[in-house]
Amino acid sequence: MLVYLETVLYGYAVFVITYFICLNLAYTLFLVLSFREIVIYLRHNSFSNYRLMVQSELTPPVSILAPAYNEEATVSESVKSLLKMNYGKYEVVVINDGSKDNTLERLVNEFGMYRSKATYHPLIAAKPVRGLYRSKKPEYKNLVVVDKENGGKADALNVGINVARYAYVCCIDADSVLEDDALQKVVKPFLEDRTMVAVGGIVRIANGCEVVNGRVVKVGLSTQLLPVFQVVEYFRAFLSGRMFWHGHNGLLIISGAFGLFKRSAVVEVGGYKHDTVGEDLELVVRLHRLKREKNEPYRIAFVPDPVCWTEAPDTLSVLSRQRNRWHRGLLDTLLIHRDMILNPRYGVIGLGAMPYFALFELLGPLVEFSGYAVLLLLIVVGGLDLNLLLLFFIVGMFYGVMYSVGAVLLEEMSFQRYPNPGDLALLIAVGVLENFGYRQLTMWWRVRAFWDYFRGKKSWGSMQRKGFATAKK
Amino acid sequence: MDFSFPVQFFVVIAFAALATFFVIAMSIGLVIHKAVGIARSSRGGRITRYYSAIFADLLLRDLPPLPAGSKTSAIFDQYESSIEPIKGELEKLSARKQRLHYEAIHDVLTDYAKDLTGETSQRLIYIFYSFGYVERALEQMESKQWWVRAQAARDLGLLKARKGIVKLTAALEDEHLDVRNQAMQSLMVLVGVDALRTILRLSKNLSQWSEIELSVIIMEFKESAVPFLVEALSSPDQSVVLFSIEMLAQIGFVSAVEPLMKIVQEYPNSYVEAKAAEALGRLGDGRSESTLLALAESRIPHVRTKALEALGRIGSGAAVPLLEQRLRRGERGERVVAARALAGCGKLGVERLNLLSAESDESTRAVAQEALEEAGLEMEVR
Repeated sequence: MLVYLETVLYGYAVFVITYFICLNLAYTLFLVLSFREIVIYLRHNSFSNYRLMVQSELTPPVSILAPAYNEEATVSESVKSLLKMNYGKYEVVVINDGSKDNTLERLVNEFGMYRSKATYHPLIAAKPVRGLYRSKKPEYKNLVVVDKENGGKADALNVGINVARYAYVCCIDADSVLEDDALQKVVKPFLEDRTMVAVGGIVRIANGCEVVNGRVVKVGLSTQLLPVFQVVEYFRAFLSGRMFWHGHNGLLIISGAFGLFKRSAVVEVGGYKHDTVGEDLELVVRLHRLKREKNEPYRIAFVPDPVCWTEAPDTLSVLSRQRNRWHRGLLDTLLIHRDMILNPRYGVIGLGAMPYFALFELLGPLVEFSGYAVLLLLIVVGGLDLNLLLLFFIVGMFYGVMYSVGAVLLEEMSFQRYPNPGDLALLIAVGVLENFGYRQLTMWWRVRAFWDYFRGKKSWGSMQRKGFATAKK
Repeated sequence: MDFSFPVQFFVVIAFAALATFFVIAMSIGLVIHKAVGIARSSRGGRITRYYSAIFADLLLRDLPPLPAGSKTSAIFDQYESSIEPIKGELEKLSARKQRLHYEAIHDVLTDYAKDLTGETSQRLIYIFYSFGYVERALEQMESKQWWVRAQAARDLGLLKARKGIVKLTAALEDEHLDVRNQAMQSLMVLVGVDALRTILRLSKNLSQWSEIELSVIIMEFKESAVPFLVEALSSPDQSVVLFSIEMLAQIGFVSAVEPLMKIVQEYPNSYVEAKAAEALGRLGDGRSESTLLALAESRIPHVRTKALEALGRIGSGAAVPLLEQRLRRGERGERVVAARALAGCGKLGVERLNLLSAESDESTRAVAQEALEEAGLEMEVR
């Protein structure tokens, strides 16, 4: 019996190690090919005169959609900052998602809003709209406030898409801080390729940066370790992972914090799905699905340059909820669209991106967790050489470190947003440190997400934000 | 039980060695890169400041008058002798430093070139040729790498190198968008508005980005660009036709009205028709009223909508009954456009809109009220 158990455990350990080799090979491939993509982007970008874009009447207008729920403390500042973007023609649509506080009153008083007679004609089904508000003040002519019944972020964005006047909609979080020229850079791919349906921009961590009047004026790192871990994680996710998939038109995620969509394409697929916690991921997968099924040429791109700053969780409890939600969102989306996985009809999405996300991103934490368990069992039954176990861990750590440091390298070779050499040294150090505890912690949160998902948990979990005024600590 | 993975074990060991090597190399590389970057930027800044001062003095310095009866080319000898000391200094440097200084001088001079005119500009152009920047750019135009060609095309414009016109013209048909765009912009700088004829003749499938870049340059020339844009209305490429229509509308010169009306009547494509109708509305010339009224009866919805919109923009009194009819019936989008157009048709239109805003039919009333609110808003804003 014991021999039988040992054989099974041994077999599983072989599987885990093989899995681990494949995963790291994939990461190495991402790193190398993403570097190539970033070089191409930088070369191309050096010939882009964005000043002309602001001057030209041909630049397409954009509707910025900002959902707000109980944001009375920060909503005025956020909206003022959005109204100061360096872009030609655009409107800001704030969707008050049935806030229980004074978000609406704050907007009405601050911006001189009045209830408009304009009628609301939904193209995408959503919770009822209670009223549309426009400003009496000329300087806020491009501001629209929509008051609606509470339905969640996805529902609020769907209402925003219904109300938007322009052909391109930029979906952001209410607390996102966009750089002055972020819109210009994210719109450009649409101008170069008429088949473009969505473009995602890079999201960076604002903790530790100086934010004045809704603009990041000095980039820095937080003095707390947790947000700095996330800075390195974001480098890996955006500069390596997304850049790779962008190069192969296999991008599955456009961050909910900052993405630009062709409105007609989003309407065509029916807008955001409001009964999933991964609505941003699910929308992009649905766009791929529709375009592939209709055999229409299309592109979904990622631009590593336009920057959206966001406040990262700085406590373990909030971070665990966020990661749990992200993983539940991934699981939900992959289950909804499971027929696309390994289906040649969906090209690179069906044969590349979705299998990768299912096998490595989704199941990775389970395999890693079970791997640890099996190795422990093998030790208990006395079937494992401890030296070899140690070697396995060392290799694992080194690969983790390599991937993290590689992502920092990508940042340093390209955008260099952290000018202080001390910050760079800290990022490298964190790239090493995160492998000793932090990575295992995030793995555990993601393992728990499976449990929560199958128990039917659908909630977002609260995400207390401290606001940018206190972001520098 | 022995832990033996015959293949996996060696793979893992190999990866461990590789990973260790990478991590060490990358960390060292990162730190060196940062340090070199800081040092280079500081040294580069010093060199740039040095040459900025030298060339500012050299370009603004008065040259001694040429002796009577000297050849025209004697001025070039004067230019050459003024830069000889700099060339002498450069020759003393190592090859690596020479490259660094050479690039710094290039950046300083191209920066000056944007603001200089007259004799000083001539002097600067001579320096560009004398230092070999023009020859280098011309050679680079043949490069297999698109970014080298694009940079060379940009440089030829910055260097004001008329010698590059032929190569830039050829580059308008380059396979890479950035090369084409840079060539377009440089040609406009070197040749002026006349370059527009060649640019529009050779352009195919203009991207929206190219259109934006070109539109800003065209707006600097305004009326003088109109003949070339009118000529381009007969281009076989639809993107060029649509772009020309848009620019004619933006410039707003009345001589465009007749050719645009001709396009509306003759062009066999509904998108072009709609675009021309929109342009006629933006030009706001009453001569196009009958053409637009005819177009408002088109069977194609987006052509009809654009015609209605245009009638509102020119404030056509004759269109009021038609607009009122469209506001009462038809698809919602068209009704909204008709209501907005009525608001633009002066006193008569607004009167009708006021009456319609009290109609018993709820949807008619709502559309009219919305249009009135928008018109009121606009007045308030003004």
